[in-house]
Amino acid sequence: MAAQRELDGVLVEVIGSALATIVEEMSGTLVRAAFSTNIKERRDCTAGLFDTAGNGIAQDEGGSPLHLGSLMGIVGSILERFPVEEIRDGDVFIGNDPYNGGGSHLPDIVLATPVFVAGELTAWAATLAHHADFGDRGHAHIFQEGLRIPPVRLVRAGVQQEELLSLILLNCQVPDERRADLRAQESANRLAVLRYRELCERYGRDVVVRAGDALLDYTERRTRAAIGAIPDGSYHFTDLFDCPELDVERELRVAVRVAGEEMFFDFAGNPPQVRASVNVVWTALYATVYYSVKSLIDADIVPNAGMYRAIHIDAPTGSIVNCRYPAAVNGRSETCQRIVDLIHGALAPAVPDRVTAASNGANTGVHFSGLNPLTGKEFVYLETIGGGSGARATKDGLDGVQVHMTNTSNLPVESLETEYPLVIEAYELIDDSGGAGEFRGGLGIRRTVRVESDEVHFWVDTSRQTSHPWGLRGGTEGATAKIVLSEGARPVDHGYTVLRPGESVTIETAGAGGYGRPRDRAPEAVARDLAEGKVTRRAAERHYPGHLGCPGER
Amino acid sequence: MSLRIGVDTGGTFTDVCAYDEATGRIHVRKVSSTPDDPGRAIVRGLGELLDQIGGREMAEVGYFAHGTTVGTNALLTGRGVRTGLITTRGFRDLLELGRGRRPDMYDAQADKPAPFVPRDLRREVTERVRHDGRVEVPLDPDEVREAVRALKAQGVASVAVCLLYSYVRPDHERAIGEIIRDEMPEAHVSLSSEVLPEFREFERLSTVVTNAYIGPVVADYLARLRSTLAASGLRCEPHVTQSNGGVIPFVTAERLPVRLVLSGPSTGVVGAAAICSAAGFGDIITFDMGGTSSDVSLVQHGEPKVTAGLEIDGRPVRSPMLDIHTVGAGGGSIAWIDSGGHLRVGPASAGAFPGPACYGHGDEATVTDANVVLRVLNPEYLLNGQLKIDHAASYRAVARLAERLGLSVPDTAQGIIDVVTANMARAIRVISVHRGYDPRDYALVPFGGAGPLHAARLAAELGCTTVVVPETPGAQSALGLLMTDVRSDFMRTRRVAVHQDTVDQLSEVLDELTASATAWFDSEDVDPARRGITRGVDMRYRGQNYELGVPLPDGPVTEDTVRRLRADFQDAHDRVYGYRLADESIEAVTFRAQAVGAVSRAGIVRSASRGGTPADAVTARRQVYLKETGAPADCPVYDRGRLEPGHRITGPAVIEQMDSTTLLLPGDTCEVDDLRNLIIRTQGS
Repeated sequence: MAAQRELDGVLVEVIGSALATIVEEMSGTLVRAAFSTNIKERRDCTAGLFDTAGNGIAQDEGGSPLHLGSLMGIVGSILERFPVEEIRDGDVFIGNDPYNGGGSHLPDIVLATPVFVAGELTAWAATLAHHADFGDRGHAHIFQEGLRIPPVRLVRAGVQQEELLSLILLNCQVPDERRADLRAQESANRLAVLRYRELCERYGRDVVVRAGDALLDYTERRTRAAIGAIPDGSYHFTDLFDCPELDVERELRVAVRVAGEEMFFDFAGNPPQVRASVNVVWTALYATVYYSVKSLIDADIVPNAGMYRAIHIDAPTGSIVNCRYPAAVNGRSETCQRIVDLIHGALAPAVPDRVTAASNGANTGVHFSGLNPLTGKEFVYLETIGGGSGARATKDGLDGVQVHMTNTSNLPVESLETEYPLVIEAYELIDDSGGAGEFRGGLGIRRTVRVESDEVHFWVDTSRQTSHPWGLRGGTEGATAKIVLSEGARPVDHGYTVLRPGESVTIETAGAGGYGRPRDRAPEAVARDLAEGKVTRRAAERHYPGHLGCPGER
Repeated sequence: MSLRIGVDTGGTFTDVCAYDEATGRIHVRKVSSTPDDPGRAIVRGLGELLDQIGGREMAEVGYFAHGTTVGTNALLTGRGVRTGLITTRGFRDLLELGRGRRPDMYDAQADKPAPFVPRDLRREVTERVRHDGRVEVPLDPDEVREAVRALKAQGVASVAVCLLYSYVRPDHERAIGEIIRDEMPEAHVSLSSEVLPEFREFERLSTVVTNAYIGPVVADYLARLRSTLAASGLRCEPHVTQSNGGVIPFVTAERLPVRLVLSGPSTGVVGAAAICSAAGFGDIITFDMGGTSSDVSLVQHGEPKVTAGLEIDGRPVRSPMLDIHTVGAGGGSIAWIDSGGHLRVGPASAGAFPGPACYGHGDEATVTDANVVLRVLNPEYLLNGQLKIDHAASYRAVARLAERLGLSVPDTAQGIIDVVTANMARAIRVISVHRGYDPRDYALVPFGGAGPLHAARLAAELGCTTVVVPETPGAQSALGLLMTDVRSDFMRTRRVAVHQDTVDQLSEVLDELTASATAWFDSEDVDPARRGITRGVDMRYRGQNYELGVPLPDGPVTEDTVRRLRADFQDAHDRVYGYRLADESIEAVTFRAQAVGAVSRAGIVRSASRGGTPADAVTARRQVYLKETGAPADCPVYDRGRLEPGHRITGPAVIEQMDSTTLLLPGDTCEVDDLRNLIIRTQGS
């Protein structure tokens, strides 16, 4: 054991760097060992380290911000159900339930491992993987959405609980993948335990634990410093929300108050929870607000629970943004994406140089499931498709990316077509889908998928099919999302249809809003968009009439 | 007997190194780099070196090898050529869409890298191959010709072609290549099936576009340098290093320029591996610390670890390369205090200008200034007196931070060293623990001007107990060029179960690779006695998408080979992931062969002591602030040139040489071996 060093800011930075390395290594291990395309290629997973009270002290920044929502409650839920003295070295807990397991929707399955150092419970290591299963289910309430797992031991003192695993796997459509991905998660957790122990060997257990506390304080200080720089005041925003499952739009709203070094988010007045999948459980709401704040104040702040101390959230229980049992939640990310937009919209007057105009406003998820003739077994293919990112005060928005609460990778065509009876016919940007402005909104994505086997069940979660992503300060709105089927295919009804061989579906995600008046756009930028075809001549004539025929144009 | 020359062009200095086969001696010359035309510094340095060793003639040079960053710089500064792209219909935007992630999860102001081919220079052609190699839609040559003519009219100088599944069936790409050569004979052509015949369309696309974008730049540079060297009397065919650490003739390098992106840093690693193997250290971690960044890599059993790719500026580039990880931590890295009150170092750097405060032009505290304040670095001058040091300027810069931190100036300076050490340790963990290697089993080998200064602390941080400082750490890359072999990598992607029943299939792929390697040896005219081929197979469990590489034993592929491959893979998987699955599910994905033509290397000269004692090498004593003693320590300062094999000293001590300083911590011992390396044994952590 190393000589105990006094804990100063430098040592905290050093240990913080080592903790960050551990969570990165956990995620890397999970991705490389995984079997399902959603993990091994799309990286729909994350990893975190927690203190014994359940505060997150390090989270992998490669995952999606919304994953925090499915991770942040797990340790607390375990401790609520199990006396701490009964938790043993070698235990691994599994959980996914939004109402009992700290989860935010059922496919995000968390494995949490207690880290014992010299016989004492010292920390928790957890991985989250979005298991692309539970396909082709209903979304009237949580019971239709998949198997609910409260926190229970998948491994008890080193012994795999095969009976429990068999129960879980029997409820999955692709059990082989689930089994392999869970093993990959266990592998990542095991590694975290080793690495955390090595760290304690080097610096002393007590120093590492106190460094974790100091990291929380450090993040809190930086958060407060950054909030302090935002002008005090109350800011509001409302927007219309749509999704395929709902027949009428709902109005979402937020009131943000900035007071000194703290921020207060009030979600009073939001609609009641709905009999559809787009309800948001509190962990997901919190993760969304924390993401929004971090993206607005200082992207470089170390992501941990210290940030939460300066942020206060109030949302009516039973509303769409803070639902209660037994509301369905599978598509909560659609709503969460819009909450980020709301917060940016509200704070636009306060921090105009940091906000973006509305992004594509959805986490467009497409699910294909059915019998795979390549394997003779069931398949479930999940993809979330990015879209336009909102224009900024000094720059265009990004074209065709994952925005805000999600940041997964796409599935390479050459991987997809090898594993599933599907063919990708196009994957491209949509011309003219970005809002006009001094800075143009990002373009949406068009992806056409043709089906090659019988009876493929298609589900889509999306938003912005009816209302447009808004612009800021004179920037115009972006294009809406569309689902287009090949001729003769059965139309999509409430997000669902069934496709036959040769039929195809084209998903067009929304663009994003522009920022600033179109007439202030640099002529070279208009010319470049025209040359590249991102803006057609017809649209340019409409939005930038003064700019055509200028010297920059080719 | 002739001279063998190695030239490494860095951002600040161009190092020229000569090995005189007649005397077995190595000579080094450093001249300032000339970034606008790197060849000028090369010719000048070469001329000066030939004078230095007694008026030798260029005609006496029998071998010339060069490490260059021309390709990398063209990438980083966006100074490639106007490039066109031809893709499968429906996929021209893939270059921008990439893998769909945004560049920074939280920073809404971050931008994606601008694609090297703007959208108006990307043409789609109607064709479709399926994953099993079946042609679903045939290629239409007339449509291709039209697309090529359009690109020609748009003035492109280089064309990349990337079609879906071209790694399975390259026919369509080849046909397009023919049409381009026919329509635009002067254009540089890059086919993805030739540049990177591997699965994952975006990574392949990004690599082939990179190749096309820098191709003409690299080709022009090498052609110009070749003629400049010839004009100044060089008679041999010059060679250049690839990212894999091997050299190839200039003419060959022009075809696959993407394989040169790590040309510069790779030779230092190869040189360190060669020197340390000779010194008895086969397992090392190299640590090359310069002014703005540090490059780290891992060498096992004398062989540098290789990887199949990396990201440069957010763009994936896949080609066989040494597994070198770069971190923005160098002598010029700037120390600052963030909004939470933490001391941070880098990635911003004071660069060559204004440089550290002690150089007299800037006022921001850098890592070098911290070392000057602590007096680990000579507080009066560096580079044998060629560079004056302003100790007071360093002190002022660090004091400004100290005041805000509420710490003493020496504690703040030490804090800067601790933070930068942690940053470097993190980089080393990426290439060691993340890959399943424990750094405690490796000797740390520092080089670059600043490496030896920080090695002892870094070793302690990582738990390494041995540090090996080579004789000329400041010119390690140039030296490494004299120790690299002629080398080329070949690969095939083919998914095959690794099973007794598939011996024939495995054998067939590997025979193809061997045939390619042999053909290459013939074309390079490598003496058959000096040829060597090492083969490997990247394997995984069926269902995974990431492979683990396993070396393949020599000889024909038999059932025994298959058994051994499976066992080795199972062991590797267990080591990395902690579990193993059934043998039946193991599949091979990528087959690799590395063809190596051994060059006659610079002899590694062992020398005996020229006498004297370590005390004779002490040139001064200096009060050095060391956190290990908690107070300024009275340290002897040694002249490295006067330390002889067999000499042994105990820290604390500072060992100075022309372009580098080594710090020996209290209680650590340092012995000079017969290769004149410093072998430092630390007390462990």
